[in-house]
Amino acid sequence: MIQRLFAPFALFLVIGFLIGPFLIIVAASFSAGETLAFPPQGFSLRWIAKVFTVESFRDSFATSMMLAIGGTFCALVLGIPAAYAMSRYKLPLSETVRTIVSAPVIVPGIIVGLALLRYFVVPFGIGITPALFLAHTALVLPYAVRVVSASLANLRSDIEEAAVLLGSSRLGAFFRVVLPNIRGGILSAFILGFVTSFNQVPVSLFLSGPGVRTLPIDMIAYMEIVFDPSVAALSSLLAFMSIGIVFLAERFLGFSRYV
Amino acid sequence: MFHNRAEAMALALPAAVFAAAVFLLPVILLLAEGFKSAEGWSAAAYTGFFSEPINQTVFWRTLRLGAIVTVVSAVIGYAAAFAIVNLKPGTKGRMIGLVILPLMISPVARTYAWIVILGRTGIVNQALQGLGLTDGPLRILFTETAVFIGLLQLFLPLMIISLISALENMPRDAVPAARVLGANWFQVFWKVILPLTKEGVVIGGTLVFTGSLTAYITPAILGGSKVLMLETLLYQQVSVANDFVSASVIALILIVMSFAANLLLKRVATARNNR
Amino acid sequence: MSDLDFLSLEKLTLAYGDSIAVKELDLSIRKGELVAFLGPSGCGKTTTMRAIAGLLAPASGRIRLDGADITRVSANRRSVGLVFQSYALFPHLSVFENVAFGLRLKKLPAADIEKRVNAGLKSVGLTSFASRKPAELSGGQQQRVALARSMVMEPKVLLLDEPLSNLDARLRLEMRTELQRVQKETGVTMIFVTHDQGEALSLADRIVVMKGGTIEQIGTPEEIYNRPASAFVADFVGFENIFELSGGKLKAANGLAELPGPVPSAAGLAWRPRMVTLGSGPFRGTVRGASFSGDSREYLLDTPLGPIKAEIDASLPAHAPDTELAFDLPVEKAAELKRFG
Repeated sequence: MIQRLFAPFALFLVIGFLIGPFLIIVAASFSAGETLAFPPQGFSLRWIAKVFTVESFRDSFATSMMLAIGGTFCALVLGIPAAYAMSRYKLPLSETVRTIVSAPVIVPGIIVGLALLRYFVVPFGIGITPALFLAHTALVLPYAVRVVSASLANLRSDIEEAAVLLGSSRLGAFFRVVLPNIRGGILSAFILGFVTSFNQVPVSLFLSGPGVRTLPIDMIAYMEIVFDPSVAALSSLLAFMSIGIVFLAERFLGFSRYV
Repeated sequence: MFHNRAEAMALALPAAVFAAAVFLLPVILLLAEGFKSAEGWSAAAYTGFFSEPINQTVFWRTLRLGAIVTVVSAVIGYAAAFAIVNLKPGTKGRMIGLVILPLMISPVARTYAWIVILGRTGIVNQALQGLGLTDGPLRILFTETAVFIGLLQLFLPLMIISLISALENMPRDAVPAARVLGANWFQVFWKVILPLTKEGVVIGGTLVFTGSLTAYITPAILGGSKVLMLETLLYQQVSVANDFVSASVIALILIVMSFAANLLLKRVATARNNR
Repeated sequence: MSDLDFLSLEKLTLAYGDSIAVKELDLSIRKGELVAFLGPSGCGKTTTMRAIAGLLAPASGRIRLDGADITRVSANRRSVGLVFQSYALFPHLSVFENVAFGLRLKKLPAADIEKRVNAGLKSVGLTSFASRKPAELSGGQQQRVALARSMVMEPKVLLLDEPLSNLDARLRLEMRTELQRVQKETGVTMIFVTHDQGEALSLADRIVVMKGGTIEQIGTPEEIYNRPASAFVADFVGFENIFELSGGKLKAANGLAELPGPVPSAAGLAWRPRMVTLGSGPFRGTVRGASFSGDSREYLLDTPLGPIKAEIDASLPAHAPDTELAFDLPVEKAAELKRFG
């Protein structure tokens, strides 16, 4: 009996704890006041509007978008064939590949960023942007491999054989019968990779240079100097963007089956 | 389908080579730096690192916060997961959605919210003063408490999700059967639910623990330089002191700790498959 | 080449890595024949089938089909059809597109494709399902789609992997008739793989019994059923009482046992439970177990020869457990095994 009353209450508290801060941020971003505060002082859209006028936000948003889309795309280009090979070729070898490919998920991002800075950027003199690109690709690769592997695991390998016996080439079988059937998994991997990359901070921490910063890093830098609600407004906008993408993905792809 | 190794290798190799070159090799080189000294290989950097009291404090704080966040999230996680799995299917889906929702939001935004809540003029201080419980504002921000709260909020969803799937995989009639056999609720939890959901709590615990260990944003924003953790200390060593040897030492400590947690995860996962 | 060796395997050796699955297999199959590869799992039957399809490259040996050496011809150019045990339909394509898949690859004119797909679907009775997705079909319907998909390609050989094993009893009978009809109408050479002797006996013109990567016996269903060549085949087709012969005597649990009457010079003798005479004869045994199955009763006897299984009409009086009975193993009824082991 006690648990019948206690459980919903406990759940209410937990959900409040998880979601509350986000709601506060959203409310604060509509404040009319000069500083970040809750409850908001009045209602205005000025901070939402301001987000779009801050040049560094615009630049870093573009950088983060480029990294999230481009990096995830490259991770998929590398990851799909690897996932395919591992799912259709079960030998100790594939475990080794899996370990190497998924290692970036185990090692803290800050170390990946630092190592890249010290042994890639400095000695080879490559730019910050390509380095960020490499880092984000490496970061998303494990997710790409994992999600695509999961959707390949649901696909029996004999459909490729059937396609070949009906006259298709091996490569043709992949494009004609494998790819169409793992499309949902690939899109899910893309979305997961995109969100992971876009929200990533530690990897990019050391990889920032003049004029090149990812958006989250830029936000941290901004709020260390200015304490106005524009970061709250930006956070709300980004959160709604992420939630919107994931919501649509769940609606049309059954995203959570793959993640 | 693959008749030979060569074809599989050709497909898997680009990804493996990429990960090895961009990630594995640089990280190994970085880790090696901590063992280099003027007269060859040595562990001097490690003894040096641990002889500094400040480093010891940071090390133990990181471990302690990780452990506390893990334990607290397990306790809360069980309550929440139990409440959720007993809901009607439709409501259950929406609740799971609400639990997952924060994971989609940028950690910067999620941590930032706590400034508004825990800051000098934040909601908590306003409430405390309004109720007359304190005269002036309490300092909550830049304390371990703030970091703890931030980490808990960040990683609790992972624990809840792991426990929900563990509870759902539990045999349907295990709890009623134990009740019929005369167990009280405490015994039911301790003797039936916990053993049957052990994997879930270990998986969730590993995710929460490694997450807390390697979180950067939360200790950076909510702890600042007053409550350093290993990640923020590493950043400081590089950006302020330009000390790559210390950074390498911290990196290895972090990696060893996450690896240990991951190994545990794998061990439990395998034990399950073999059963 | 004659029609007698339309498809021939010559000293075919197949291996997965270092482990040899099939060893120096020789086999000729006639045009239009319906052949069953019968054996327990791991006997090499599926491996052999995959090699014929071109999904597995032989370690050595040759495969010839219709006069041409196809050993090195890749799977997509062999004119060999395969109906998978799991049917392997393409989940993202409609029934129509599944059947049209191979024809589209051949770049046939659209009108031709439509005509042939419709004819194929009609022949398996699925015309009205053309626009459905495979997931919307029952297992039996999926299998018929798979059959139509292979048949519209007009293969020289159609391979079927355990074609009846995923179906329930009623569908099994339906599919059996279906396969025989297709074979009769098109005259296609068919090979199917099965571990079920009943399936092989009822469907095949000829049965190839395999064991441990080699052929144990080739013969018509009657030959296999009545005259198994070895103890293995005898056991596989339901001979429960199998003995090795040594110098005209049975090698039994208690040593060599004398049989009444003249004993043929074979490696062994085997009796089905039906063939054992109960109530008279030179041997004695104790009833250990009995089971009633409508028409008959089966007894398990504990005898000095070892355990003996006997079956008699249910109309005869039953024997209680622990009674001692006389029995006989009549030599004239026994199957003579050419090889033992």
